[in-house]
Amino acid sequence: MANIELRNLSKRWGSFTGVQTLDLTISDGEFLVLLGPSGCGKTTTMRMIAGLEDATDGDILIGGRRVNDLEPKDRDIAMVFQSYGLYPTMSVYENIRFPLKVRRIPEAEHHDRVMRAAETVELTEFLQRKPAALSGGQRQRVALARAIVRKPKVFLMDEPLSNLDAKLRVSTRAQIKNLHHELKTTTIYVTHDQIEAMTLADRVVVMRRGEVQQVGTPLEIYDRPANTFVASFIGSPAMNLIEGVVTAGIFEAPHVRIPGLQAPDGPVTLGFRAEDAALADGGEITAPIYSMELLGDSSMATVQVGGTLVAIKAPKAFAGSIGQPIAAHVPARICHLFDARSGARLSA
Amino acid sequence: MKHRTFFWFFLPSAAAMFLFIALPIVSVLMQSVFAPHQQVVREVENCSVFGCTKTTTVDLAATAALREAEPLGRFVGGSIYTDRNHLAFSEVAVLASTADGISTFLDGLLNLPFYGALLFTLTYTLVVTPLSILLGFVVALAVNAVPRFLRGPMIFVSLLPMIITPLVGALILFWMVDARGVLGALIQSLAGDPNLSVKASTPLMWAMLMVYGIWSSAPFAFVVYYAGLQTVPQDTLESAMIDGASRWERIRYVIVPHLLPLTTFMALIKIMDNFRVFEPIVSFNASAHAQSLSYFIYSDLGGETRLLSSAAATSVLTILGVVVLLSPVLVRTWKTYGRGAA
Amino acid sequence: MTTRIADRRPPALLIALNGFLVVWLVIAAFPFLWTFWGSFKVEGDFFSKADWMNAITGPLTTAETGSSFTATGYVGAWVQEEFWRAALNSAIVVVSVVCISLTFGTLGGYALARSSYRYAFWLLLVALVFRAMPPVTLVSGYLLPFFEWNLWGHLPTAIIVLVAINQPFTLWMLTSFFRNIPKDLDESAMVDGCSRFQAFRYVIIPVMWPGVITTGLFSFLLAYNDFAVTAMLLSKENQTMIPKIASFLGTTQTKGNVMFAVSSVVSVTAPLFVLVMFFQRQIVSGLTAGAVKG
Repeated sequence: MANIELRNLSKRWGSFTGVQTLDLTISDGEFLVLLGPSGCGKTTTMRMIAGLEDATDGDILIGGRRVNDLEPKDRDIAMVFQSYGLYPTMSVYENIRFPLKVRRIPEAEHHDRVMRAAETVELTEFLQRKPAALSGGQRQRVALARAIVRKPKVFLMDEPLSNLDAKLRVSTRAQIKNLHHELKTTTIYVTHDQIEAMTLADRVVVMRRGEVQQVGTPLEIYDRPANTFVASFIGSPAMNLIEGVVTAGIFEAPHVRIPGLQAPDGPVTLGFRAEDAALADGGEITAPIYSMELLGDSSMATVQVGGTLVAIKAPKAFAGSIGQPIAAHVPARICHLFDARSGARLSA
Repeated sequence: MKHRTFFWFFLPSAAAMFLFIALPIVSVLMQSVFAPHQQVVREVENCSVFGCTKTTTVDLAATAALREAEPLGRFVGGSIYTDRNHLAFSEVAVLASTADGISTFLDGLLNLPFYGALLFTLTYTLVVTPLSILLGFVVALAVNAVPRFLRGPMIFVSLLPMIITPLVGALILFWMVDARGVLGALIQSLAGDPNLSVKASTPLMWAMLMVYGIWSSAPFAFVVYYAGLQTVPQDTLESAMIDGASRWERIRYVIVPHLLPLTTFMALIKIMDNFRVFEPIVSFNASAHAQSLSYFIYSDLGGETRLLSSAAATSVLTILGVVVLLSPVLVRTWKTYGRGAA
Repeated sequence: MTTRIADRRPPALLIALNGFLVVWLVIAAFPFLWTFWGSFKVEGDFFSKADWMNAITGPLTTAETGSSFTATGYVGAWVQEEFWRAALNSAIVVVSVVCISLTFGTLGGYALARSSYRYAFWLLLVALVFRAMPPVTLVSGYLLPFFEWNLWGHLPTAIIVLVAINQPFTLWMLTSFFRNIPKDLDESAMVDGCSRFQAFRYVIIPVMWPGVITTGLFSFLLAYNDFAVTAMLLSKENQTMIPKIASFLGTTQTKGNVMFAVSSVVSVTAPLFVLVMFFQRQIVSGLTAGAVKG
């Protein structure tokens, strides 16, 4: 177990920048999620920590020791790969045992440790099978077992759930969360799925084009997105963003008029979450319905405002038809204001 | 992969290629600008009672010493390249000034050994490559249309002409077209000329060499196209059916575009292979009628005389030819991958 | 197998295709059958001025040997002309070339497939140019230094030269095979505690055999079928089979020698037949490896 420190970490390929001067401290035992769309540098960051990519600049410290020049095998880490990286010629048992074997851990301990790891992930009945004879979820668990069979300083997980179907993903997510609670090993987890990030993380790092957008607990990121990118990436549905102009504390855009904002005059981007708004006559937004979706516990009404679509949560029973005008109550207190050009958060 | 790891992994392969491909190219270049030493001749005066006579004798010791000191021979610059057996500058100049028309000029040009070999090599490459690809394509279509259980044996038979040793395959064909062989007899009866002999006729010899070329390279095209036909995207094919495309239109708009990249790949490989055409000329004993660049080098190297410098010069010219032939591919590869590769 | 209506071909097209296929199969196979059959006749029948049917019925063979089949061609080639020596040399050359080529090639191909640096691309491009050069142009570069250093004529010389000439092709093929082995595999091994070489040894080697076997087949063919290098670089006593056959041709004036060549040709072809029979699938996959993936 150890903390990890990234100092000024950069990765460039020729003129292309994969990761830009990243500074990050991950405390001992923390579950940190790197979140972002594909190509944002999250996987590259993890691979640099693992030693599978060389850092162009900056330092990586694991447990206070600089590991930049160490081979992956000498960094005392374990990693779960997106496609699991199971050894097809070895049985499940041999797969799990492999890290012990190549690290010259005394032979006598192998069996116990393999069995314990296999039990943790409920694989004991498949130990003699080859990976090809396993289902996707079972393979994923073999990869997990292979990671936990040792006691590494750090777990790295690269989108470990992305090849599973939706139902299995939920249960495996819970299993990973539980595993971390038990082992308390520092874990870095890469995903593009914001729900995984929200449910698993102690802290989330949102990245985009190689740069960190925001670091914070899931709640902080959800409640106070640092910019329009984070706002539009987190939440389901994502935060509504409307471009308009503030004059004397009143935000105005086609179909929209929200008073009571504390902001200087000028163009801004206004954001609010669908679930914070409500249908109400004489509300701040008045526009015809673009589409209606039943979600189960509620409905989602979408209206078109200028060029953008805005979602508003409606009661389950609400039966609006397309084209019918509706009004929504969007008070100033649920609104987030962002700079119109840079997208950075304006209000405190 | 780190540079150092890469280096150690790649070292054996690199060393083999460096020592036995890159250095020989240098060696060929060197040899092509050096000619063997002439024997050292000494004039000796023999005086006797009848007076003095001058005789010349070969000084063996001095010759050996000279060869020992400069094993490459004497430096002659580009003169081997321009001599009669290669680019033949002066002969071409004479031809250009005396020839009374483009056809006599060409006739004269092609009688020069290097240009003749170049012409045959290029003709062979340009005839055999497209025809063998076409033949392979039709065979692939035909095999693809027969029931599945018959395809295995058919692929087996179709592979044979390609897998066979070129020298041996050409020999087999040569024996059959011999005037006393089965194909020779057939040709004679078709032509109605009992004395017709392939061996004696230059056009027939060229034709036979190319028939052999097509026979032996069609299987490659067949296999590649056959595999390509197995991977035609079924979704696209089915959506084309639903969109109302006829059988012909499906071939035209789905299958052909799918096979087109394969054709480029094959053309590249086949051009490389055909440009080095060599063994069939040995097998057919055809050097009197047709010489390729490779055969030209081979015949210089063989025999008692071993004209190393001449062979080296032809080799250099052949390598240049290969580079010219490959240049479109190289440029294209560089454009597509070279910039993208990090 | 039932055919969907959509896949049915018009009958005229089917007849044309099948007719063409029959013609092609005859063209592809007949020369081999003819030569195989004829190799058991005497020269007068195999090359019959009187009637080409003689090569099938063999009247002269019956007249000369008392039976319509004779093995004199084989006995003459293998025993009298010591073709067995050439066969032995061929075996040595081919086995060594395949083993060394594959060892060098798997190491190099793996490095090329796993390197993300630009020079890997350039090395492959250089290999392509090397691959395109006719081997005989290189042979003219070997002769002088090999004479100087007394390397000419020996089997090991021919072996290492063939290995080198084989390398560009081997590298291309194996690189494309290694690229198909997921990178995750060796990366997990390295995270699990292997060095690069251990990852190669424990994880990659066990899964690379299909590619190695296919590449090995083509290395085999290249070494087995080579004429330019073995003919020019080996002394007479070290000759392999193909140059030996060519040397029979030089002395065809003597009656019966042609039949030595014919029987040796059949002998050389037989192993290739067996090879295709057992490894047809690998050969097909190898030929298409580069093409289908672009």
